[in-house]
Amino acid sequence: MKRTVPLIISFIVGLVMVGEFFIPHYKYRAVTSELLEWGLILAAGAFILGLVNLVQVNLPVVIQKKEDWGYKLVMLITLVVTLLIGIYSGTGRQDDGEHYKWLFDYMFVPLNATMFALLAFYIASAAFRAFRARNLEATLLLAAAILVMLARVPIGEAIPVVGDYLPKVMNWIMDVPNIAGRRAIFIGAALGAVSTGLRVILGLERSHLGGE
Amino acid sequence: MYQFLKRFQSLDRRWVFLGMAISIVLPMLFPVHFPTKVDERVQSLYDRLEELEPGDKVFVSADFDPASRPELEPFFRANLHHMFSRDVDIVIGSLWPFAPPLVTPMIEDLAAQHGAVYGEDYAFLGFKMGNELAIKMIGDDIIKAFPVDSRENVTADLPIMNGIRQAQDFELIMSVSAGFPGTKEYVLQIQGQYNLEIASSTTAVSTPDYVPFYKAGQLFGLAGGMPGSAHYEQLVYEDYPVEGVRMMATQALDVLNLGHLYIIILIVFGNIAFFLTREVEE
Repeated sequence: MKRTVPLIISFIVGLVMVGEFFIPHYKYRAVTSELLEWGLILAAGAFILGLVNLVQVNLPVVIQKKEDWGYKLVMLITLVVTLLIGIYSGTGRQDDGEHYKWLFDYMFVPLNATMFALLAFYIASAAFRAFRARNLEATLLLAAAILVMLARVPIGEAIPVVGDYLPKVMNWIMDVPNIAGRRAIFIGAALGAVSTGLRVILGLERSHLGGE
Repeated sequence: MYQFLKRFQSLDRRWVFLGMAISIVLPMLFPVHFPTKVDERVQSLYDRLEELEPGDKVFVSADFDPASRPELEPFFRANLHHMFSRDVDIVIGSLWPFAPPLVTPMIEDLAAQHGAVYGEDYAFLGFKMGNELAIKMIGDDIIKAFPVDSRENVTADLPIMNGIRQAQDFELIMSVSAGFPGTKEYVLQIQGQYNLEIASSTTAVSTPDYVPFYKAGQLFGLAGGMPGSAHYEQLVYEDYPVEGVRMMATQALDVLNLGHLYIIILIVFGNIAFFLTREVEE
């Protein structure tokens, strides 16, 4: 029963949602729209589950003072403080002068931007150490990377004579080999998604129900 | 010589970091503006927006966060300025939880510059969670997806939403996207089903992913990374000048110039050292 009912629900909902593409009638769309709304409500519920899971995973580590417990403590304190301030500030939490807005502007924004900005330094270091033309494939990759990097910035276009051809070469790299590779990946992934979807609808794929 | 090249290859990464820091700071202190040619994909985006008539409605999906802000904020600002200047009505929504506090000041700033009235000329519907589900919902019934806007008004009661029920009712969709969920999901979930006209501004790392969509006609324009934003800025502020405007992406191209050059030099010299030392070792 615990498995049969979810399987029946998956089958019916999956079939109804696929049917939308073949039955373009407004009444049918009203049904799928309702189902989508249920899905959105469930997705919102997943946020609460995520919150509970985060506490379940990290709190025992802090209590037992296991490895990296200090970081997890900071994370849990931040979680609780942000949550409480957000709830306390209510719908006006994004207004100027609100504590929640202050947390976002002066804590989250600089931290998030810094993490991403650090990439430039690590990419420079990694490129210097690891990007070697050891074989034909690596040499092709390296040449393509250098050409695209140079052509993407105005200094590349400013190089006499070569600068006129760089954007053309870059566009060819992006439009021909890049597209060929991407499309192959997209189509492969799409076929995989279709087959997984069919397996879920038909009840052959049951891993989402737990076990097996 | 061999010893020097060996040592060069195992150079302490802090020196590499220092070089990168200098490459970033120097152009900020001493900007050198190189002329740049506008990319065909950005030109196509701009040209289509130029065809919009006053009163046309456009949905902008602002899906970015502070990390991608330097690349996408210049486009977002220039895009709003472009559309406000053409009296196009703008409805903005977001699928990223960090976007609303980030974009609200930008929207209000641009709206104030153009004297736009909230609810009539523009509206911000706020954040909607649910990723692909939310996009599908925007395609099916945007009022249901965003029952209230960011100011707690009932979305259906906003004058700007007159005649708007689903994504198809908008003239265009602009996806300002830093990743998932974003442009790719808009194309996969609703572009084909509703035959929507979508353009994208995206980060440099996502651009190669979206080029196939542009080539297939599923995107009518694509502004990729900082150069894409800079090209769009140049087109917009040339035709719709604003006194004292800071063209952030155009300025940032100087940093990108030296940053890219620095990485290329590191790769080239690293390889030269690698081959010379390998020859000696063999």
